[in-house]
Amino acid sequence: MRNVPADTQSDRTSGRGEEVRLNEDGVVDWLDLQEEDFAFGAKGGATLSRRDVLRITALAGTGLVLGLCLPVRVHGENGLAWTAPFEPNAWVRVDPDNWVTITAGRPDMGQGVRTSLAMIVADELDADWSRVRIVQAPADMARFGNQGTGGSMSVRSSFGPLRRAGATARAMLVSAAASQWGVAPGSLRVERGVVYDDAGKRKATFGQLAVAASKVAVPEADAVPLKTPDRFTIIGKATPSVDLNAMVTGAAVFGADAAPKEARHAVLARPPKFRGSLKSFDDSAAKKVPGVRQVVASGNGVAVVADHTWAALAGRDALEIVWDDGPHANLNSEAISKQLRAAIPELPPVQAAKVVEAVYEVPYLAHATMEPMNCTVHVQGDRARVWVPTQNPGNVQNTVANVLGIPAANVEVNITLLGGGFGRRISADYAAEAARIAKDVEGPIQLQWSRDDDMRHDNFRPASIHVFRGGVDTSGKPIAWHQRFALASGRDQAMSERGPASQARNRYGIEGTTEAALVGLPIATGPWRSVNETQIVFANECFFDELCVAGGKDPVAMRLEMLGMDRLKAVVRLAAEKSGWGTPMKKGQGRGIACFAGYGSFIAQVCEVEVTDGEVKVLRVVAAIDCGLAINPLGVEQQVEGASIDGLSTALKAAITIENGQIRQTSFSDYGWFEMADTPVIEVHRIVGGEEPGGMGEVGFPAMSPAVANAIFAATGKRLRKLPIRRVPE
Amino acid sequence: MASFALSVNGKKVTVEAEPDMPLLWVLRDLIQLHGTKYGCGVGVCGACVVHLDDDPVRSCMVGVQAVGNRKITTIEGLSTDGSHPVQKAWIAENVPQCGYCQPGQIMEAAALLKKTPRPSRDEIREAMAEHYCRCGTYPRILKAIERAAGVKK
Repeated sequence: MRNVPADTQSDRTSGRGEEVRLNEDGVVDWLDLQEEDFAFGAKGGATLSRRDVLRITALAGTGLVLGLCLPVRVHGENGLAWTAPFEPNAWVRVDPDNWVTITAGRPDMGQGVRTSLAMIVADELDADWSRVRIVQAPADMARFGNQGTGGSMSVRSSFGPLRRAGATARAMLVSAAASQWGVAPGSLRVERGVVYDDAGKRKATFGQLAVAASKVAVPEADAVPLKTPDRFTIIGKATPSVDLNAMVTGAAVFGADAAPKEARHAVLARPPKFRGSLKSFDDSAAKKVPGVRQVVASGNGVAVVADHTWAALAGRDALEIVWDDGPHANLNSEAISKQLRAAIPELPPVQAAKVVEAVYEVPYLAHATMEPMNCTVHVQGDRARVWVPTQNPGNVQNTVANVLGIPAANVEVNITLLGGGFGRRISADYAAEAARIAKDVEGPIQLQWSRDDDMRHDNFRPASIHVFRGGVDTSGKPIAWHQRFALASGRDQAMSERGPASQARNRYGIEGTTEAALVGLPIATGPWRSVNETQIVFANECFFDELCVAGGKDPVAMRLEMLGMDRLKAVVRLAAEKSGWGTPMKKGQGRGIACFAGYGSFIAQVCEVEVTDGEVKVLRVVAAIDCGLAINPLGVEQQVEGASIDGLSTALKAAITIENGQIRQTSFSDYGWFEMADTPVIEVHRIVGGEEPGGMGEVGFPAMSPAVANAIFAATGKRLRKLPIRRVPE
Repeated sequence: MASFALSVNGKKVTVEAEPDMPLLWVLRDLIQLHGTKYGCGVGVCGACVVHLDDDPVRSCMVGVQAVGNRKITTIEGLSTDGSHPVQKAWIAENVPQCGYCQPGQIMEAAALLKKTPRPSRDEIREAMAEHYCRCGTYPRILKAIERAAGVKK
């Protein structure tokens, strides 16, 4: 499909008063995009006007291809914003062989977006789902904008334009059939990829109509009604992933699998300590390792290039490197905690019947995607080809272009499946490294990070400390909530521009003040599934629980009384009901609840734990989710299950710690993550309804860890405020 | 360097390699079988599990010399079309999210069921220990193994 987007050659104005372009196939395109059409508010994609722009982009006679513009994120004056790209960045194609092909650039990191995007188009098109496939679009920042995925925005931002594209293609196919049969389009019906003329007892498949449809003028959007949700046939149905078969047979192609066969394999030795640097190295032993071809100083490290990964790794082990350990060689976790704590000012006094004070702390976290970072680059003169698992194709393109000193348009970025993302692959640091090495090597090179590299050179979820002073009145109702918190800040805060303080205000309308401090530290940080909500919601939802306890109130009843959002209250009510909230549990067992609203969705999670001799066992998680219109309920369930296990893992096991200026952990075994044996039953209950989809990639994470800590309190009377809670102290 | 005659998915393959080169890298980089995944390189994550005869092994920890004349089966050789009962169960339960760890999980599960056709939950959990999935597909993996074993839920 790489040949589908056509280069624009000349501009001129059409009689319609719209900007018109001729592409290389001589087909008229028109652009009429305005930024306000892409304002994403509470209504999400519904605010897109008819101008989400569709055009025929293929050679006439080969089938129907509609180009459309999915909104993209750009950096503007007010931080990241959504806007329209300048050219189509997605295509819907109906071929004479009766396949419908959707080409879109949103990478899939396990969130199932390839499946849900295809479902949206297929539904409005009334296509046969078994004849629909989705193809990954190439990255091209200049032409398509940044097709990154993050912020749980892939489905929300694409919903309107994809529906419009599906409906428009359907209208054109129907129009083609109507002309052929000499009947009114309104007399025809479409079902599973076939247009029927019931009166004339005729029918034609999409494939049979594709060529004729490509000659039909693209109808005005006003003439193409979208379905009402009750008429959806694919949206809202539990639909298995389009990549399922490839994933269970080993055929799925991830970044590490995508390199050309002749590629050399590279690993990079990096300074082990934060902000360390390379002083000197001796590569004589490394070069003797069979299979090692080249050793090059590269950026701040030393790259070993070999015939295969094993030789590269062995070569790296054989390097003798003298590092300058830099100014932070003795940094450790305790010192960082002290620094964060010191950044927090005194809180205002509270007048209340009971005053409650608390200090919460969470550690750094690694993303630890199952597929370690990797990137393949082939430099060919002033051009480069890249194969990369990325959440952020445009960033890779610009980064590689910068490193190589070539125009971004000369960098071809091929996006593979991602072996996990969680925010890690928004950064293009690993692509920059690969490009730097590739510059010095003939032919393609694949840079592979070892697990140890991946664990220690991540952009970590920031550690943070949260200090509260609040209180309840004589009736037990929370009346005061002051909070101050300090977040560690490394080099990459692009995703936090919204400002953590505004995110942190309590959702209960309790009077008080909120201030945040970002503490600069030499440890790289970056977005991690649900970004700053990961720390803030843990602290806030636990502190609310503390206020409830101080006032002698039930945490569910108080939430229902004080929450300002009806949809959030509804999921709290549902989770409480489904979990049997309030029913007795055995000694040593307890139930906790927490809730979260964000990314256009609402969730409450109840956790049941049992504590025996200090050991915490999670018995059950009951989640209630309202994500509005669920495109794929199966995907929604999977995201809640997975994010809940993330939340449990970070509540009870995982931590990145710092010793002597470096990350201590090297693999899953010392990082600590849930395994099957740790995993409880996870029930997912969904509030059905809504016309707009909410985001699902992140919403399941934030409330899970506070629900666990609240449950441990309920079971033991011990309020544990520092994660992870590996044991409950006696 | 030495020459090793291997049986991979029923085919004879000869590779030139250092005797201690892990089977993982022999499969991935020398004979381009990419279904077996690199996750940790130290035998703790399970992404690289293959079968030597009927035994599940972490191929990052097995030097090619140690394979001897045992038959190697990778995810590509479990079935040609996803029709192995474990793969079918994986599809029925819609297990994968990102999919990266799944070949290792599937190979471990297939080996378990060959030896223990009707495993208890504890036996399943024991066999699947140190098989990390960062997407959190464990509940579905458990259901899929029980489905493949014909265990009534």
